[in-house]
Amino acid sequence: MLGQPVVNELSNGMRLFWLPTDKFKTVSVKLFIHQELEDSLVTKNALLPSVLERGTQQHPDRISLRRELEDLYGAELSTDVGKKGERHLIEFSLEMVHENFFEEKDLLRRGLEVMEGLISNPLVEDEGFCRSYVEQEKVQLAQEIKSLVNNKIAYALERCVQEMCRGERYGLYKLGKVEDLEQINAVDLYEYSQELFSRNPVDIYLVGLQQQEEAESLVNDVFSLQRNTSIVEIPPTTVYREKEEVTRREEIMPVSQGNLVLGYRTNIPYDHELYYPLVMCNGILGGFPHSKLFQNVREKSSLAYFVFSRLERHKGVMISAAGIDPSQYENSLEIMQKQLEAISKGEITEEEMENTRIGLINQLRTQQDNPNSLVNFYLDAEIGGRKHGFSDVIEKIQQVTVDEVVEAASRIKLDTIYFLHGEEGGGSK
Amino acid sequence: MSSQWNIIQNDLLQEAVYWQELPSGLKVYVLPKKGYQKKYAVLATHFGSIDNCFSLEGEKDYVEVPEGVAHFLEHKLFEDVEGDVFNRFATLGASPNAYTSFTQTAYLFSCTDNFHENLDLLLNFVQDPYFTEETVQKEQGIIGQEISMFEDNPQWRIFFNLLDALYQKHPVQVDIAGTVESISRITPETLYTCYRTFYHPANMALFVVGGGIDLDEVGKQVAENYASRDYPPLGEIKRHFPEEPEEISRQKVAQEMVVSEPIIYIGFKDESPEGLKGKDKLRRELVTDLLMDIIFSPSEPLYNELYEEGLISEEFDAGYVLESNYAYTLLGGETRYPDKLYQRIMEALEKIKEEGFTEEQVRRHRRAKLGDFMRRFNSLEFIANNFLAYRFKGVDFFTYPEVLQEIRVEEVNRRLEEHLRLEKHAVSIIDKRGES
Repeated sequence: MLGQPVVNELSNGMRLFWLPTDKFKTVSVKLFIHQELEDSLVTKNALLPSVLERGTQQHPDRISLRRELEDLYGAELSTDVGKKGERHLIEFSLEMVHENFFEEKDLLRRGLEVMEGLISNPLVEDEGFCRSYVEQEKVQLAQEIKSLVNNKIAYALERCVQEMCRGERYGLYKLGKVEDLEQINAVDLYEYSQELFSRNPVDIYLVGLQQQEEAESLVNDVFSLQRNTSIVEIPPTTVYREKEEVTRREEIMPVSQGNLVLGYRTNIPYDHELYYPLVMCNGILGGFPHSKLFQNVREKSSLAYFVFSRLERHKGVMISAAGIDPSQYENSLEIMQKQLEAISKGEITEEEMENTRIGLINQLRTQQDNPNSLVNFYLDAEIGGRKHGFSDVIEKIQQVTVDEVVEAASRIKLDTIYFLHGEEGGGSK
Repeated sequence: MSSQWNIIQNDLLQEAVYWQELPSGLKVYVLPKKGYQKKYAVLATHFGSIDNCFSLEGEKDYVEVPEGVAHFLEHKLFEDVEGDVFNRFATLGASPNAYTSFTQTAYLFSCTDNFHENLDLLLNFVQDPYFTEETVQKEQGIIGQEISMFEDNPQWRIFFNLLDALYQKHPVQVDIAGTVESISRITPETLYTCYRTFYHPANMALFVVGGGIDLDEVGKQVAENYASRDYPPLGEIKRHFPEEPEEISRQKVAQEMVVSEPIIYIGFKDESPEGLKGKDKLRRELVTDLLMDIIFSPSEPLYNELYEEGLISEEFDAGYVLESNYAYTLLGGETRYPDKLYQRIMEALEKIKEEGFTEEQVRRHRRAKLGDFMRRFNSLEFIANNFLAYRFKGVDFFTYPEVLQEIRVEEVNRRLEEHLRLEKHAVSIIDKRGES
């Protein structure tokens, strides 16, 4: 089993998390810029990486940039934004075949230089980013934000969270808002990026190089951007929230399937002692095919094809969802709610408990065989202030008792019921 | 015992597949992967959604079964006399699943512990069918919701609408899950008929991949499991497909859905690759795929012109699909202006055909494609699923790098001239509901 990553601070204050292994065909590098998830910043954060990806001083357009990557045996360079609790992450990823497979040197260095160039050396004109790139990417981002509706399941999940966390920072969509785009211009965005790169926490994860010296000197060499000595602190996520009454939201669209989503507040933060019991609770409820939701909503009642529950660990929000026939709304809702009630009443079989436990342990172990989930595990630990390794988490899962699961379940409160469905058929009254 | 492994080695990938054929006809493949904790096994039958009309050697008549039966059978195998198979995998700490494609049905699990118990469970439940009126009826509700889910999925709808426009008779145009009507005609007898024909070990293959796998133990375990069951030899399976004309069915198909922007797919129907074997088949696939890469990749001018004009988004994609008796090229994505995009692409293709490609373009895209293929060997699922899918179409997946590297510019240019013919293309559009 892999140990903890070796963490080193570069001379400019960026942190390098090195995960040595030779089992992958690739070297993976992921760079995260941490920022507060906040109303006035969210759209800029989402727009920025796509502008940066368009060109650098060295590779001023996409053709030149992409050709360099193709020449590096199809190195994959991509950007994204992520949301973990009330923290916004601007992500840059590079994945390349390990150069040992070829009789060519410096492939990795060249790949890293392209990646680093996006941040330290963007294409600049008149004290701002290239105007046409910014304008084109604004159009693209607006379309991407709107395209959420194309995937009805993802749309329903996001809408439930938005309704549930209205007025909270967590309610912001990670891609931002269309109406913000008009006010963003190439100069402001450039100035914002310079401050962000200089003052915000930056973490680089490196998976796949075996020699510590090689890994550290290469990254130190390439990522040499000058940064401010004082790094801003990202405010913590607010987890606890009292809710008097359950919010019910219904949305009508000409669709064939009804999407029923239940949003719960667990009121249990990631660093709480009941966190692992909560993970078990979510697993027993809807993390697996053996879970209560799958067994009762799908297998026993034939009401759904998909039904599951998932946990957002940083915000302490738990979401259950099912795709159902709209005429079966009341029935499905009742059965779904009963499953969590059953857990909080201690109606958990030995089999459910143990199957969930080993299912979670199996997931934790297999996570280590994929560079992305490996990085994600340590990133979550870092953000949540739990500096643990895989074996620590497995041990915690092994120790969870039924009583603790019941205790965790009894703290969970239903916050919002969201239902997306077609015009005909049933619906909430 | 039967530890007579054959080896397929690939020096570039630094991987080796060990394989043998059991007396029952089952082909077993094992790829030990150093450093991995996960073990992944997939047992697949060469029976997919297009196999709706068939007979066994010695039988007089072809049997015709309702659309969606392969997928329905996949769902139903997870239930036996003792109940739900999912729970038994759960008790062993494994994560089970299954999928049905046009050409195969695959059952799989991944685990880190209890590998041999899990493998036995996989082999046993797939070999123990149990279908009753009651369980079949129950599944009609679940699959009904699955069909409903796909009806709301614009990517799925535009894809099948396009296949429907390209093909006049071939069953590839029908949704893998069938329709609510077609699955209502499925009975336990239908399922048993399909099962007897296609779930014979001679029509199946097993792929095991992962860390800490003992080759000889796996060989012995699988051999013993199959030896304990008496399989009479399977006659040849005859699959009947209606004669598919070379011409497309119709030039354009459109549907309205709730989408943020319209979506357009353009497809080019290719001639059936039935006559091609092994490497020649893979070669046609890779040459055509490379051709599409060169035309539409973000490193080439066309993509960038369309992007800068606001006609495409980053999701725009193009590729080629080749199966046993059908093949097509497909390209497209979301666009605000489907008509204008269509026109621009068709004009660009004519121009590209006149100009042809350069040596440098072919070299660069070949290099990128090779790296892309190699990167995917991080994934156990990718290796096993593809190896079997290619196996069923008579191709050794490990020859991919070798065939790719043999491709030269002349061959790509020849392919450019013969494929992408105007009279062979069809268009599928999803319009925004309420607008036109």
